[in-house]
Amino acid sequence: MANYHEKINWKKEAKLLPGYLIVTTWVVFAAVMLFWILAASLSTSREIFTGTVLEFKSGLHWENYATAWNSQNVSVFFANSLLYSVTASAGVLLISAPAAYVLSRWKFVGSKPIRLGLVIAMSVPAIMIIMPLYSLAVQWGIKGRILLIVLYIMLRVPYTTIYLVDFFSTLSRSYEEAAYLDGCSPMRTFWKIMLPLVQPAVITVTIFNFLSVWNEFFMALIFTSSESMTPVGVGLLQIVNAMKYSGNYGAMFAAVIIVFLPTFLLYIFLSEKIIAGVTGGGVKG
Amino acid sequence: MKKNRTMILAFILPTVFCLLFMYVYPVVRTVIMSFFQVESLTSDTSAWTFNGLANYAKIMGSSGFQLAMKNMMLIWLVGGLITLALSMLMAVILTSGIRGSKFFKAAIYMPNIVSAVALATMWVQYIFNYDYGLLNEIVQLFGGEKVKWLGLDLKFWAMLAAFIFGSVGYYMLIYISGIEGIPRDLYEAATLDGASKVSQFSKITMPLMKGIIKTSITFWSINATTFFLWTKMFSPVNTEGSTIVPVVYLYDIVFGGKGIIERDAGAGAAVGVVLTLIIIAVYAIMNLTLKDSDLEY
Repeated sequence: MANYHEKINWKKEAKLLPGYLIVTTWVVFAAVMLFWILAASLSTSREIFTGTVLEFKSGLHWENYATAWNSQNVSVFFANSLLYSVTASAGVLLISAPAAYVLSRWKFVGSKPIRLGLVIAMSVPAIMIIMPLYSLAVQWGIKGRILLIVLYIMLRVPYTTIYLVDFFSTLSRSYEEAAYLDGCSPMRTFWKIMLPLVQPAVITVTIFNFLSVWNEFFMALIFTSSESMTPVGVGLLQIVNAMKYSGNYGAMFAAVIIVFLPTFLLYIFLSEKIIAGVTGGGVKG
Repeated sequence: MKKNRTMILAFILPTVFCLLFMYVYPVVRTVIMSFFQVESLTSDTSAWTFNGLANYAKIMGSSGFQLAMKNMMLIWLVGGLITLALSMLMAVILTSGIRGSKFFKAAIYMPNIVSAVALATMWVQYIFNYDYGLLNEIVQLFGGEKVKWLGLDLKFWAMLAAFIFGSVGYYMLIYISGIEGIPRDLYEAATLDGASKVSQFSKITMPLMKGIIKTSITFWSINATTFFLWTKMFSPVNTEGSTIVPVVYLYDIVFGGKGIIERDAGAGAAVGVVLTLIIIAVYAIMNLTLKDSDLEY
């Protein structure tokens, strides 16, 4: 493990040199890509095509962001994605947390098949469910944002429930016994005592739900029927496709940055929690 | 603790409803639909006509589907070998005691967090761009001729390279957690016995990571089977033979794409069932072969 107070052992570092070179090349490549996109988002189409993006001869073109945000509708896409991500990650908790709690606490008729069903549901590919859901949505005339909100909530239920079951299982039953003796009803005990106790797990699972809904593309593409319900991923695809006609490359790169930034910022602040979450739960040999 | 039936029922019902509505019903209906002739998704079930395995015969005989399966296999095999090898290399480097490994780990995993649409756009519109792209700048720096990276013959490999770049971080994290689970003293003992780094890797790391490598192969197989977004970003308007994959083929025949005259939801369902069977087969193979490799340490 790297210890920054440790004196540099040049012999040891020299042995690691090839390793340093490989990972540094990889990261520098990613950094160059990001910086160039950022610079291009502040340049004109002409500067982009003449390869003078990093010189900023005509100044910084912040108006690219205004163009992307307003006339290319990124503001609408952005608001929609925010709405989907926030409501879905909150809504799924209302459904999954109580279910995870009772699944971790009691054996009852059907508790085993439900757990198994949730695990299987996590690996059901989207292509197996979208067609009937599409027919139902048309048949029942469900359109607009509410459709994607409901679908995203239900899409995240299996993962969220299974994730939380593990954490509720680690809680001692003495909490409930003490609450029972104090005359607290079981439902109240859950909301007031048990749920707050798994708060770290709730936060982690919410981060993952937020990221996953923000980046979801397949269902968004299929169920988006109007501009007013388009989330960022599908919106960006439309902007890129329309660019052949608009020719405004600066604004397109500005749109890329706007779509890229929220999850990137989230990651900068939460990378340790996210990385720990990726390998913490499900992945075992 | 006393069982409280009302509470259990109230707490579990929404989840059960969600399972039935979002997963059980759609999967069952998709499987049934794959045996019927169904023109449009919105057509009433009374308009369905049973036609046995004809949908399966149709897709198997379709040149578009064959091409899609061929591309999928290439993504799985070539992409898988490169991605998993690169991920293992990165994992070994980052656990070898280099400085800043936390930063490198976070940076290499980053593409998994940001919107894949934004990432793909960066590759298509910048890295591979003919006029001002990074790769052609580098090629010209070395005195080469500009290359049409997104031309017909290179597009598939350009797409695969971009996909690999985005995927490595995830498998790297899996491998890192596996390597960190191996007791340090095994390596110390091997070093004392004079074993080189390479033989330590092949004699200690690889055998003890068998289970984790199998998990990663399973995940990769599922990713390759459900491959969709990158094709959509590299061939956004017209589906092209060079980048078509089964899910895109399904999307086109069910929801319509350019050049698709008749839609066929039944055939689309058959594609879905075939892909699901592939995924089940991968799980089954991995489970069967897992048993004889349980090494204890």
